[in-house]
Amino acid sequence: MKILAIEDETKVAAALKKGLESEYYEVVLAHTGEEGFFQMNSQVFDLIILDLMLPGRDGFEVLTTLRKRGIETPVLILTALDTVENRVRGLDSGADDYLIKPFAFPELLARIRLLLRRNRSDKALRLKLADLEMDLVTRKVTRGEHPLDITAKEFELLEYLLRHQGHIVSREMLARDLWQVKARSTPLDNVIDVHIARLRRKVDGPFDSKLVKTVRGVGFVLKEDSP
Amino acid sequence: MILKALSVRVRLTLWYVTVLAAIILGFALGIYLFLQTSLLQQIDNHLTRDFATVERAVRQGRPALDALTRNGNVLLFRVEAGEGPAVETEAWRRVGLEEATTTGTNDAVWSSTAVDGQPYRVKAARIDFPVGARMIAVAHDGLTYRQSMRSLTVILLLAIPAALVLAVAGGYFLAGRVLSPLATMAATAREITADRLSERLPVSNPDDEFGRLAMAFNETFLRLEDSFDRLHRFTADASHELRTPLTAIRSVGEVGLQEAGSVSSCREVIGSMLEETDRLTKLVDSLLLLSRADARTVPLNKEKTDLALLATEVSDCLQVLAEEKGQTLSVVAPRPVFVVADRTTLRQALINLLDNAIKYTPANGYIQVAVETSRGGEAIIAVSDDGPGIPAEHRSRIYERFYRVDKGRSREIGGAGLGLSIAQWAVNANNGRLELESRDGKGSTFKIHLPLLQ
Repeated sequence: MKILAIEDETKVAAALKKGLESEYYEVVLAHTGEEGFFQMNSQVFDLIILDLMLPGRDGFEVLTTLRKRGIETPVLILTALDTVENRVRGLDSGADDYLIKPFAFPELLARIRLLLRRNRSDKALRLKLADLEMDLVTRKVTRGEHPLDITAKEFELLEYLLRHQGHIVSREMLARDLWQVKARSTPLDNVIDVHIARLRRKVDGPFDSKLVKTVRGVGFVLKEDSP
Repeated sequence: MILKALSVRVRLTLWYVTVLAAIILGFALGIYLFLQTSLLQQIDNHLTRDFATVERAVRQGRPALDALTRNGNVLLFRVEAGEGPAVETEAWRRVGLEEATTTGTNDAVWSSTAVDGQPYRVKAARIDFPVGARMIAVAHDGLTYRQSMRSLTVILLLAIPAALVLAVAGGYFLAGRVLSPLATMAATAREITADRLSERLPVSNPDDEFGRLAMAFNETFLRLEDSFDRLHRFTADASHELRTPLTAIRSVGEVGLQEAGSVSSCREVIGSMLEETDRLTKLVDSLLLLSRADARTVPLNKEKTDLALLATEVSDCLQVLAEEKGQTLSVVAPRPVFVVADRTTLRQALINLLDNAIKYTPANGYIQVAVETSRGGEAIIAVSDDGPGIPAEHRSRIYERFYRVDKGRSREIGGAGLGLSIAQWAVNANNGRLELESRDGKGSTFKIHLPLLQ
């Protein structure tokens, strides 16, 4: 999977490259719109990450031009411009997703995964990790032989973690996707922490191998302990 | 348009002079007409007397009439019989006033005529005497009348412009004197800048127009000073709040770098820095929201909203926090209460209020969210707790940005002191108001009042 990141801030660009490469993506950096076009002409990408405030031609222009040229590569906008008008303008210009700076890296990864598999069907009815199993039809959760008694909210939370298993999920993603709260200023972190704690008690409590893990300062991840 | 370009002083003077000129001209015209009428009246009275004298002489007979032509009692007259020569005075003949007598009626005819440029006033009538009808005409020259009128015209033509010139000078001077406080005020106001907002305009007489103007300016300056003060305080508070997590990030990072630690201790350091970053992000987002709220650029999507449903939703969401503290959180919302509001902002307001209630109420406390309607047509969401309450001295300031009741411990518990500011904005943006009822030691109740959907 090849990603082109057009981002003029050197530090952010370097962090993007390093972070994405550690997830086994191949990353090409461009610092201006022109450089981006040059790269697009010389090779084919699976995804483009685009900053809106670029020197010279800005991101909107780059986006409009590349869509005009018939390049259908998914574009994820990464910007500090967070007003609704800018979002709408970005999406209307042909972007596929929009992420506001400062962003949480796990969220960027989640969105990239989503964009890359958009065309593939993802309608699994059973989710599974190690001996943890979740049946989305009967809404039953089992750990090995033991059925787990979990609430509706915990079910949603576990489903979300299972769908992103192996990847970090930030509190911000949870607040937005499970609680439908978009403003970061809304104090929901404690609520999320309590739910995670309860879920952890039920999923991991009596069992030896722990699956729900907290990554300090970032979020949570559902994965098996590496041997 | 041209008038607008002139200064107030010039305009005032012009108005004053225009009005004065109109009055003077009207007055002059009045005097002129009055004098004209009364002088004419005087001549006519004279003529009537002369006419009567001539008439008497005709009645007395020819000798009396002849005597009258000679003695000069009546200087200008002529009596004409149907046939035979007319009797007329020497002066009449000399002046040549014949044509003035051509009248055939018994009514007196008054006329003015001029011979060789000299004006004459003539009264002529046909009188039936026992001896037969006679045409009688008497005349009087209008020289005095004309001279009087001419003198008056000359006087008026000289006096009116002089008066107007005086009026211009006086009016300009007076307007300048009256307007001089304005110049002083303008000069003072010009010197009042953002750094010197405490200065005020001098008020010489608080009851006159200028005094009121100066006081209005001073009130504006007071409000400006107040908002500048708040802005300064806000900037200082905001910098402080931003500096706290920045300091933490920096020192944690520096210390982490010094210690040659293991991978797991590095993870701890980075995690701790990320937590502070998260706090910074939230703070900056809150500030951005408030600054947009101030600029009124937060998009609101107002629609029919059921407050009972909203209250239940928010309570369900925060229920777990209350449970963790052993608190009882109950919702009293027996029936739907509809308002028109932006659900997102209202929800945020309610979350902030309820989050505060849970945070500041001790373990095992009791918190209630009640949705009701008032008799005045208002919908009310009341968030009450049985916590320590808010001390009276803090109550008026709790909505201020960064204001915390308990400065020491509160940052650990959570927010930066922006939650209530945001809640208040959110309620106000939905045409509502946020009120606090609190008694020391007896808990607090925050009430969101919103206009009920009719």
